[in-house]
Formats: sequence, C-alpha cells, structure tokens
Amino acid sequence: MGEVFVLGAIAGGIYGLFAVATVLVYRGSGVLNFAQGEVGTLGLFLAVWLINDHGMPWVVGALAAVVVTTAIGVLFERFVVRKMGDAPRVSVAVATVGLLLFVLSGELVRVGASPKSLPGPFSGNGWRIAGVVVSPTQALSLVVALGVGVALATLLRRTDFGLGVLAAAQDPSAAQLVGVPVNRVSAFVWGAGAGLSTVACLLVAPGLGAFAPGALGRLFLFGLAAAIVGGLTSLPGAFVGGLVVGLVEASSGRIFAESSLPGVKTLAVFILLLVTLLVRPHGLFGTRESRHG
Amino acid sequence: MSEPVLEIEDVDAGFGASQILFGINLAVAQGEIAGVLGLNGAGKSVTMKVIAGLIPAWKGAVRLNGRDITGLAPEQRVGLGLGHVPQGRQVFPELTVEENLRLGAYTLRRRDKSRYAPSLAATWERFPKLYERRRQAAGTMSGGEQAALAVARALINEPTVVLVDEPSAGLAPLIVRDVFDTLKQVATTGVTMILVEQNVAAALQLVDTVTLLQTGTVAWHGPLAELDRSMLATRLGIGRMLGPSTAAAANKRAVKKKAVPEKKPAAKKAAPAKKVAAKKTVPQKAAATKKAAPRKRAT
Amino acid sequence: MSWLNARPGTRVIVVGVIAALLAPALGRAGIVTDYAALILGTGVALAAAGLSLNLLMGYAGQISLGQASLLGVGAFASGLLTPATKLGLPFLVAIPAAALAGAAAAFLVGLPALRLRGLYLAVVTIAFAFTMTESLLKTQSIGGGSAGINLPRPQVNDFIFTRNADYLGVLLALLAFIWWFDTNVTRTTLGRAFRAIKSDEAVAASFGVNVTAYKLGAFALSGAIAGIAGLMSGHLVQTVNSDSFPYDRSLLLVVVVVVGGLGSRVGVLAAAAFYALYPVLMPHLFGDRILGYDVVIGAALLIVTMARNPSGLAGAIRQQLAERRERAVPTVAPTGGVMAMPKLPSLPRPTALPERPTADGIVLSARDIRVRFGGLVAVDDASIDVTRGRIVGLIGPNGAGKTTLFNAISGRHKPDSGRVELLGVDVSSRSAAQRAAAGLGRTFQNIGLVRDLSVNENFLLAQHTVAGYDPVSALTYFRHAGRGETELRERAAQAIAALGFERYTDTPVANLSIGQQRIVELGAVLLTAPEVVLLDEPAAGMAPAAAENLAERLVDLRNELGRTVLLIEHNIPLVLATCDELYVMAAGRVIAHGTPDEVIQDDLVLEAYLGGAVL
Repeated sequence: MGEVFVLGAIAGGIYGLFAVATVLVYRGSGVLNFAQGEVGTLGLFLAVWLINDHGMPWVVGALAAVVVTTAIGVLFERFVVRKMGDAPRVSVAVATVGLLLFVLSGELVRVGASPKSLPGPFSGNGWRIAGVVVSPTQALSLVVALGVGVALATLLRRTDFGLGVLAAAQDPSAAQLVGVPVNRVSAFVWGAGAGLSTVACLLVAPGLGAFAPGALGRLFLFGLAAAIVGGLTSLPGAFVGGLVVGLVEASSGRIFAESSLPGVKTLAVFILLLVTLLVRPHGLFGTRESRHG
Repeated sequence: MSEPVLEIEDVDAGFGASQILFGINLAVAQGEIAGVLGLNGAGKSVTMKVIAGLIPAWKGAVRLNGRDITGLAPEQRVGLGLGHVPQGRQVFPELTVEENLRLGAYTLRRRDKSRYAPSLAATWERFPKLYERRRQAAGTMSGGEQAALAVARALINEPTVVLVDEPSAGLAPLIVRDVFDTLKQVATTGVTMILVEQNVAAALQLVDTVTLLQTGTVAWHGPLAELDRSMLATRLGIGRMLGPSTAAAANKRAVKKKAVPEKKPAAKKAAPAKKVAAKKTVPQKAAATKKAAPRKRAT
Repeated sequence: MSWLNARPGTRVIVVGVIAALLAPALGRAGIVTDYAALILGTGVALAAAGLSLNLLMGYAGQISLGQASLLGVGAFASGLLTPATKLGLPFLVAIPAAALAGAAAAFLVGLPALRLRGLYLAVVTIAFAFTMTESLLKTQSIGGGSAGINLPRPQVNDFIFTRNADYLGVLLALLAFIWWFDTNVTRTTLGRAFRAIKSDEAVAASFGVNVTAYKLGAFALSGAIAGIAGLMSGHLVQTVNSDSFPYDRSLLLVVVVVVGGLGSRVGVLAAAAFYALYPVLMPHLFGDRILGYDVVIGAALLIVTMARNPSGLAGAIRQQLAERRERAVPTVAPTGGVMAMPKLPSLPRPTALPERPTADGIVLSARDIRVRFGGLVAVDDASIDVTRGRIVGLIGPNGAGKTTLFNAISGRHKPDSGRVELLGVDVSSRSAAQRAAAGLGRTFQNIGLVRDLSVNENFLLAQHTVAGYDPVSALTYFRHAGRGETELRERAAQAIAALGFERYTDTPVANLSIGQQRIVELGAVLLTAPEVVLLDEPAAGMAPAAAENLAERLVDLRNELGRTVLLIEHNIPLVLATCDELYVMAAGRVIAHGTPDEVIQDDLVLEAYLGGAVL
C-alpha cells in the first residue's frame, strides 16, 4: 500500500506538472495544446545535445531547453494562435496537432529513432521509502512540482499581470475592457505551458532510462487525463488530478501484476478518463463555464 | 465651446459583410451624460463596440480628448481614459471584489501605483456595501451588487469617459431601479458618461442629451429638454402608431380582414396599467431637477 | 461522355472496374513492377483511410486523433477471420466483418461525443488510440502477442492474389467501392445533415435533423470505412502487430484530410498520393537527405492551413475559381442597398409528405406558456391562438419574451409549463424536428441557414424531413433514394428560379447580403411545406424600402399561398400593413390582443415600448 502511494506520488507530480501546463493554456486560450509533450521532448534532445555531446553542466542544458521551448510556445501563439482570432477552438487544437507532428517528425529526421538518455542533475543512490527506491531526481521532481504550484499561485494572485491572466481566462472581453493586455497574457500562457512541460520532461527523463521521439506521448496523455480529472480550469485541481492518475496507475499496476493483460495501466487511466467525462465532465474542481462553448 | 471629450465622426461599421452603422456622428462634452437610444438593431451596441475598439470602424474616426484612437486596441484606449461598464456587467466571477477593483485600476497602477490607494479608498467610501464584501467572490453577489461593482470597477481607473452599455439588460425591474440609482449618484459627481439603453424611460431620468439611432443612422440628436413624446416615438421608429400616417398604413392593409373576436385583454391590462401610472411622475421630476442646461451639439 | 458527369455513382463504378482490371494486366505486362505495385497499394490504402477520417472531420466536423486505431480494428478483425487463423472464412466475408468491427469501435468512441465538446472528444480519441496500441492489440487473443498476426492475401478457389499488382486490383476495387459509398453520403440527406451539424447544430435541428443520431451515424460510417481501409493495408503487408497502427499515423491522417482540403475526396487522394510517392520519387531528385521530410512538410502545411485558410488546398482552389467566376458576373448586390423582394415560389407538395388536417379554425394554439431563466420569468403564462389563413403579429419591446415564446412554440426550448397544439394535435412533448415535420416552419432573428453552405445546399437541406427515403437507402442510392433526390433537386431549382436567385445557386449563404439571406431563409422554410410559418423579425437589417416590399410578400404568403403566419416584428408600419390581428407582449405577458386598429389606440402599448416613459 505504501509502495503504491510512493510510486503514485512520484508519477503524479510529473502528471501534475503536465496538467498545470495544460490548464494554463486552456484557461488563457480555451484550447488544449496537444503539442506540449512533444515540445518538451524536443527540449530533452536539446539538453542531451548540450550536456552529453558538448559537456555542459546539467543546469545550463536544462535551462537552455526550457528557454528554447518557451520561445517556441510564444512564437506559436504569436504567429498561429493569434492569427486564428475567433476561429473555433477545435481548429486551434488541430493546429497544435500540426505542431506536435512537426516537432515529432523533425526529431525523427534530425535526431533519428534510436533512443538517447539523459542523466539526472544529481548522482547518488537515493532513498528507500516503503520498499521503493526514490532517486534524487524523483525527489526533486516532487519538490519542483510543489514549488511550481506555489510560485504560480503567488504569481497569479499577487501580481497585477497574474490577476490579468485569471481575468482573461474568466472573461477575455471584460479583461480587455479593464485594460489587461490580453495578447501578452495569451503569449505568457502558451510560453509558460511549453516551458513547464519541458521541466516535467527533464525531471522524468532520468527515470525513463532511454527515450526516442514520441516516447513521452503516453506520459503527456496521462497529464491531459490529470488535467481533465482535476477540472481543466483549476490549478490546484491539476495537481490533485495528477496525484489521482498516479495512484490509479500505480495501484492498477499492483492489482493486475499477475494478469496477462498488457498495458493495464493505460487501460485503467483510459477508464478513469471516461468515467470522469461521463459522470463529472467538469472534473473535481472545475467550474462550469460556457465561454469556450 | 470646449473641445468634445469623445467624438465619433462619420463612422461606418458592421459585422462580416453586413453594414450596420451608416455615417454615425456623436460628440460628448466634459461632464455630459449622453444617452444613445434606439430599438433593437438600430446600431447602439455596435456603436459602443466601435468606441471601445472591439470591432473596427470601416470608415470615419473615433477621438478621445482630441486624439485619434481609431486604430488602437481596446486595452490601449482604456489606458488613455476610456472606462467601461459592459453589458451584462461582466465582473470576474471567481475573483474577489477587491481583486476586481484592482484589475479595474490596471492601467492606473501601471501609470502611477501611488494613485491606487486613494482611488480605492474613494471607491470604498462611495460604495460601502462593496467594502463589506471585499473578500467575497464577485460571482456570488446579487445582480444589483455586481452592477455596482461593474460601475466601481470602471470609475476606479479615473476615466475621462465611461461607456455604460445596457445596464438594465437581463435584470429584474427592481434591480434595474437599483442600478439606475447607482448611476444617478455617480452622475452627480460630474463624470462624463455615454449611456446606451433599451429602457427609454429609465435612461431619460439620467441623461443630459439624447441621440436617437434608427437603422444605423442618427435620427435625432439634441438636449433632453427639446425631446417630446411624439418625436421620441417617431424617431425610435414606432412613431407611426401615433401620427396621422397610422390611418394611411392601416388603409394599405389587405381588405380581407375580418373583425377579431376580442379575447379578454381587459382583465390582463389592468395590472400593468396601474404600474405605469405610478411611474409616470418620476421622469418629469428627474428632468426638472436637472440643473445644468444640456448643451446642444451639432452632429 | 456527358452521361458520366450526370451520374457520379456510375462514373465511379466504371472507373473503379477499369482500374481494378488494368492493374493486374499492367503487372503481368511488366509495366507495373512488384515494388511499384506495393507503393501504389500503400497509397490506395492511405487514401481509403483518409476518406474515413474525411467523412468524420470533413463532413460532420467531429475531431478524431485516433483514427489509425480504427484501421487496426479492421485489420485485426480480418486477420482473425481469414484462413490463416481460426475461422477460415473467405476474404469476401472479412470485408463486411472488418467494416462492422470498425463501425462498432467508432460508435463506442463516438458515444462520449454526444455529451462532450470537441476538445474533450479529441482527448478521448487519443486515449483510445493509446489503449488500443498498448493494451488490447498487444493481447495474445486479439493481437497475437508481440509476433502479431498474419493476414494472407485473398484467395479465390485456387487463385491467390500473391502478386502485388494483382492485389492492387483488389485495393483499387475496394477504394472505388468506398468512393462510391462516400459519394452516396455527400449527394443525399446524409451528407447535408452532416455538413449542417458541422456548421451549426441548432440550425440543423431546426431543419429536422436528429443531431444525436446523425453524429453517431457519422462515427459508425467513418469507422466502417476505416475498418475496410485497415483490412486493405493489413493484407497488403500481410502481417500486423500492435505497432502497425501507431499514434502518429492518426496524426498523419489528420494532415492528409486537412491539408488536402476538409471534405474534399480529391484532396484526400492527392495528399495520399504525395505520401505514397514521396519516399520513392524524391530521393531520385534530391538525394537521400530529403527522406522523412514529407511528414515535416505536411505538418507545417497543416499549421499554415489552420492559421490561414481552414478549408485547405481544395478550399483555396475552389475559392480561386469562385472569385474568377464572380469577377465575370456582376458581384453580389451591395449590402444595405435595396433589393426588391421577389415573388415567393408556389411549390408542389412533396410526395413524401403525409396528409394533414385541413379544417379551418385555430391551427396553432399556445396555452399558458411559462419559461423561466434562473430567477427571471421570461414568458409569464402567455397564451396565443392563430387562426388559419391569417397573419398574426406579435409585437412588444425588447426583452418582452417574444422570441422565447417562439422557441417554446417551435420546440427549441422546453417551457416550464403550458401546452402547444398544432393542427389540433398536442405537440408539447415533441422535439423541434418533429414539430417541423408536422407543419411548423420558422425563421430566426439571426437567420436560420447554414452559412457555409450554398443557397442550393440550404434548399436541399431544408427538405430533410420530406425527402422520402431513409438514410440506409441513401447509402446505396437505390431507386427510390434517387427518385426522392431528383424531386428535392427539382423543388430546390424551382424555388431558386422563382426567387430569381439562379446566379447565387452555388454561392455560400454567408456571402449574401442580409436582405438576400432573409429571402433565402423564407424560401427554405417554404420548401418544408409548412402549414404555419413563424417569422422572427424578418425585416431586421433590411432597408426601409425593402421592408415595404416584404409586406407585400407576406400578404402573398397568406392570400396566394394560403399559409398562416405568426410574425414577430419591430417595424410597426410593416405590422400594420400586413397583420389581421395583433398580440402585444411586455415583461413576459400578453398585455393586449385585438385588431391592429384597436391595439394601436392602446396607450399601454406605447408605454410598453418606452418602458413607461412619459415626457
């Protein structure tokens, strides 16, 4: 039981980060950015290139990855999302599918399909908690997830710009009419979403061992599920959703450990997603808002 | 006469392929409460959107304090002194009253943060009820309180002109009265306002000048004192009901008509009729107590 | 060969048969090598897969990011049925089986679509795709474990389609079959209903389209085609496992459909050809460095297409052609300008229409209708009666509840209480579509037409409920579907001719002026052969002269076409010129009723308009 909880919490922190990235963009633009996971993966390959191939320190490589992917998010907002104006939100989502495939196929061409690996920021054996070995990077991922949560909450509630982000999410035209620069808000959420996804990827990569283009798609999907379970509009909900998905994944893995059914974890999360959408479409903490109808 | 604070000159606008405004002119002087009235589809809300910058003017210019703002984004116009009480109030429901006000002062705080504290204090003084609820989420307040918050949120930014868009829309009659009481109180402080409203009676209690829109053009413009009932009806486009042309229109009707059996409207009519009678005296009083003679402006 | 143009179904079959026979012949003659046939086969299978997603996304506007999994369902279903495995059934049985399996899976994926908005649906389809590839298709019993399963080439008696060119013939025949099937969708009520749902579900419902059923139908049809497409590619490569239908294949299908041009069969075919031929041809021209960039290019085009021109390449070409045509013909009348309202068409009764009671008297009656929105009582126990052969006006200030009452009468909103009788029948519990079919036509303030569709398509869509054939016969386009369709087209053409709109037959409604749109809307309503017509502010947005003209047409509607009209209108002169009796509403209640003469004398009415203003 304790083992399930530890595993679930570690995975849940990562899903929570992906989910927060998703929720930010959804609140700011009413769109799900399907490309986030793969943009984060692109950041990983950049970090691999800088750290492994050019011997830079981990922090430098990671920072570069976050900065570059954030820029990709901002540029995509500036030249695609903003151009689409009032177009149906599904159309904007399809454009993010284009970005996803663009990045994915670009990686395949430039990096190739053979897996790469990235070390963690720390070496060391980690700790044994409830029978699970927790690596330093995994511990860090939980700390970062919590830190990001607190930092975002502070930014959004304590600064004028942050309040503007919340206001634009609730009512974009009213936000514009009190003077909030909605274009800058939009650029911020797309950039922050891409950057946060990269952070999640950087923290999960050492635990994965090796990864090829597209390999983090499943984790990002679990992050999407976490965002929906949490309500898609709620930032705390995103972390709770991440934890729920992590726990469902870990416990299904344990319960069906003997089963011959492959991919039980994916199946369990799929069922969790369907049940959430059909029974409680606005999730655990979401508000019923009609704006993005 | 001094330069108008806000001026729209010869504006055409519309949605997609359909033109809705045809050469609209409007000028508002310092301290004036300008009413823009008209029936559904006359172009009132499009006029407001053009002033706000939410839809572009196809032709013509919008000037604020003599500066051409036609090409500016809505939030830039707010920074230059345009305030908004949007239709449907549009407070930020999940944010507290105080956070709503802080957002209202977004451009003020960017210009000069030190001016926010006194402005907030003045707001609390003017709207003590909001102060009591300053930590409450705006979405949980009543419609009337949200309307007060919307007004306060516009005023806290110290705007030159406030656009008030259909304050009565979607509110129960009792609350409409509350809202107009709030606006009346604000009007006495010398704020310049443009009021767009369907509820002609309520609007006439408040305004100094009237611009009547009909099918996208200005049908009449002048001070409140020059407006009489028949002109109002005629220019709003419901007027032929009263004038001699009624008979002509009736004659045009097909001959085929039969007498319609009278249902039983008499009973139903009685109740609302009383209500109207009770209200009758109010606007007259309101009009009489206006001190400053409204300035008539050329359009 | 004009007969080919006239009958798209026949044309597809002829071309398909020729291609299917030609491929093996060319193969035997050595013109098409085994390798070339494999490449072409890949392209044909990709085109079929693209058509399946095109039906769902391009026609019905439902997003799917997991379409490749449905291909997998079809392939595995076929693999389990054909000779190498347990059941040993012939290939011809595997085809409908794969279609059924695909349809069933797609139906299940589509079920949440009834409750969920587009973005959620997209997530569900991705999750479905991952679940398929990581779980179900990896199982021993379905997917054959890591080894996968074998899909042998089809066999007829002793002849096996081992040569790729021979099997290419089979693929071409199947593609032609899918193409024909897809043509039947687009040229009947099915495709029009799909496209209407894509553009505007409320308008679709107002024309009598059962939105729920058609959405699920679109999923099932798309799944059926996907199932066959999966079978096609599965038997081409002859072995499939859980990795054969990966997630990024689903995304590539989105590229094929969107970049080719949403809803364009030819666009899908062109995009599929590009992806099949690129790896073969491009390295010859530019060297091996160019390999793999086909997907990069496609993805970039997908982004550009969405950002610039959501109708894709085919749409851009169509737009170019339309612009050229419009330059040749004088352009659409300037907006705001006066356009005389043409005579309304007198149309033949649709043959499929059931008999309706014809007695005089009250044909529409609404009793004590009450509608609340939260705390606001929008309609407060309002009752109105409409007598056959009259034009009845419903006037009152904004917010009086007129349109809400209309919505309650037409079935768009369910009132909290009250009852509605149409032609003496209580229709209170019927849907908007059923009421429309029972003879209640209505127009909308913001124009109840599908803006993306042309005038002609709107006129055809309007006849959805009187088409006289069911969706199943539409799919096969058997005789009476063809006959029904001919009648619809004739009636639509008559209406267009009577209105003098020949020039605008293929113009999207959105490109017309408001006045023209009103005319088209009225024509569309008349095509449904209504007994009672509800008109919601028909003069709104019309120039005064045009409104006067409209008055004459409304009188025609009553006197010449024998319709009964209930009219909401703010233009009082128009009301006075047309109405036989008036109801006045204010604050949700009927405050006056009588002849126009009586009503306009009523001071109360003016008070209502001015909100109680007296100067």
